[in-house]
Amino acid sequence: MSAVLEITDLAVHFPGRGGAPIRAVDGVSFHIAPGETLGLVGESGCGKSTVSNTVVGLLAPTRGSVRVLGTELAGANRRTLRAVRARVQMVFQDPVTSLNPRMTVGAAVGEPLLVRGVARGAALRDRVAALLEEVGLRPDHAGRYPHQFSGGQRQRIVIARALALRPALLVCDEPVSALDVSVRAQILNLLVELQARLGMSSLFVSHDLAVVRHVCDRVAVMYLGCLAELAPREALYAAPRHPYTRALLAAVPEPDPAVQRAKPRVPLSGEIPSPAAPPAGCRFHTRCPMAVDICRQKVPEWRKVGESMVACHLAE
Amino acid sequence: MTQPALVVEDLSLAIGPAQVVDGVGFSVAPGEVLALVGESGCGKSLTAQAVMRLLPAAIRQVSGRVRLGAEEISALPERRMRELRGRRLSMIFQEPQAALDPLATVGTQVAEALRLSVAQARPQVRKMLEDVGISDPDRRIDQYPFELSGGMCQRVMIATALISGPAVLLADEPTTALDVTIQAQILDLLRRLATERQTAVVLITHDMGVVADIADRVAVMYAGRIAETGPTEAIFAAPRHPYTALLLASIPRLSDVPKSKLAVIEGRVPTPAEFGPGCRFAGRCPLADAHCAEATPPLRSVGDGRLSACFHAERVR
Repeated sequence: MSAVLEITDLAVHFPGRGGAPIRAVDGVSFHIAPGETLGLVGESGCGKSTVSNTVVGLLAPTRGSVRVLGTELAGANRRTLRAVRARVQMVFQDPVTSLNPRMTVGAAVGEPLLVRGVARGAALRDRVAALLEEVGLRPDHAGRYPHQFSGGQRQRIVIARALALRPALLVCDEPVSALDVSVRAQILNLLVELQARLGMSSLFVSHDLAVVRHVCDRVAVMYLGCLAELAPREALYAAPRHPYTRALLAAVPEPDPAVQRAKPRVPLSGEIPSPAAPPAGCRFHTRCPMAVDICRQKVPEWRKVGESMVACHLAE
Repeated sequence: MTQPALVVEDLSLAIGPAQVVDGVGFSVAPGEVLALVGESGCGKSLTAQAVMRLLPAAIRQVSGRVRLGAEEISALPERRMRELRGRRLSMIFQEPQAALDPLATVGTQVAEALRLSVAQARPQVRKMLEDVGISDPDRRIDQYPFELSGGMCQRVMIATALISGPAVLLADEPTTALDVTIQAQILDLLRRLATERQTAVVLITHDMGVVADIADRVAVMYAGRIAETGPTEAIFAAPRHPYTALLLASIPRLSDVPKSKLAVIEGRVPTPAEFGPGCRFAGRCPLADAHCAEATPPLRSVGDGRLSACFHAERVR
């Protein structure tokens, strides 16, 4: 089957102060198969949210190609974009700012159906009721306003709205980061259940490696605008190939003192460089504990090592 | 046993009629890290603000005693409190960039904690910056906060808090705004400084991973009360309060089965207006019975130096 999302050599640059463009995303390629969930992880400023915003058409690519269900988004006209956007929906981090405080929950969840002319009147009300039940809310919640709900319930409302048009691809950008720990589990359970039940594909952007491992089939690790590694979940977590992936995994504090305190420390020295002036050669070499001469001079090839794709000269 | 560096007893805070912090008490020994852990609204930050006596005007202190070493400080006049803050009792915050003065150089801010100018204290400030892992301190000392990254600003805040050699450091979510690789650096730094300088650290966090990483002891808070407290290993190995048990089971871990169902705490935290006479967790608790809704369970010893505020502590698993 063909891919739901196919990104090839995607670059998104922003004009920077003082001439040099900010290379937020600089040559990223991956695809998402039908029914698959791909996790995109990295630290702040690595470009992961720029990728997700480009996929839903909120940003235009500077270079490269973004194909959704075979349709090219780069350079597409408004009509094409509008058609594609119906098939790609997004869930943002903060459910408070994602909902219009003056719109009832029913109006918010039903709006995509109304705008696209899918349903109106009684049929629309029935559809909204079913969507609310699908995410674990009650149909009579439709008449209430967002402020009457807790953070977790609001994220459920946002998810119901995103599901209204039965998208082929759901893009989730840090969907549980703003939620309290006990509520986070409820939303993660819901997302896993919806993936299985609806069979949709999903791009799951997060900084939390434990959360990504829990919901994703494959995982891509991003650093300073480029992919460092992309691998099936088991391979990435059991045998990370890129030193950055290893450092990230080592830095995740595990909620178990016995495990956490026995963990080898892989301290990363230094800070993330500016995307306006990325280091030559491998972008990670300034912080990499393994870096040698070639890393400072030559950009590592994106190549297959075992089950993983990795951009590191020393991956073996 | 050495005298605790900080003792808080029976601290209660109210907004209007609602008791948002209710009878909270704990102590911290020199060189020890105590984590106050809980979800938003549990009262952990208000507790720290009450210790510093920096409570927002809307919050009224109903009861509570705070002892710093041998000295009772809860009744000190504000003038004396000001002498303590930043000298014997320091605090660091979540947003390092917001907590630093954008118009003052790094050196000025760190020296100010000693009530000195950079010119007067340059060698001490330089040494302190080095101690908190700031590379190239000779250059950084004259830079402004905007020239530094978030992790670097947090190091500056720690330097400012510790240069006067305080007995107690209150750290309110010090790594929440930082990336994981930077968080790991800052946690290692806090752990090392607590041990080397024998500073008592109260670490306020919502992250059980952070607790597992550096805390010696934990106090788990729920809806303004301490649910359970004890040594970190013991609490993670076998929680004695249903809230702690469910909270730990709800966190996705690198070791669990992907896409498996995570434990869920049904419902939500009660608002202060909904607090009843009984256990505040009763409405969401799988072990709750009629008694739990009517009477407040006292914190009682459940062995191994642990206290639990649950009538059914022995049945938690």
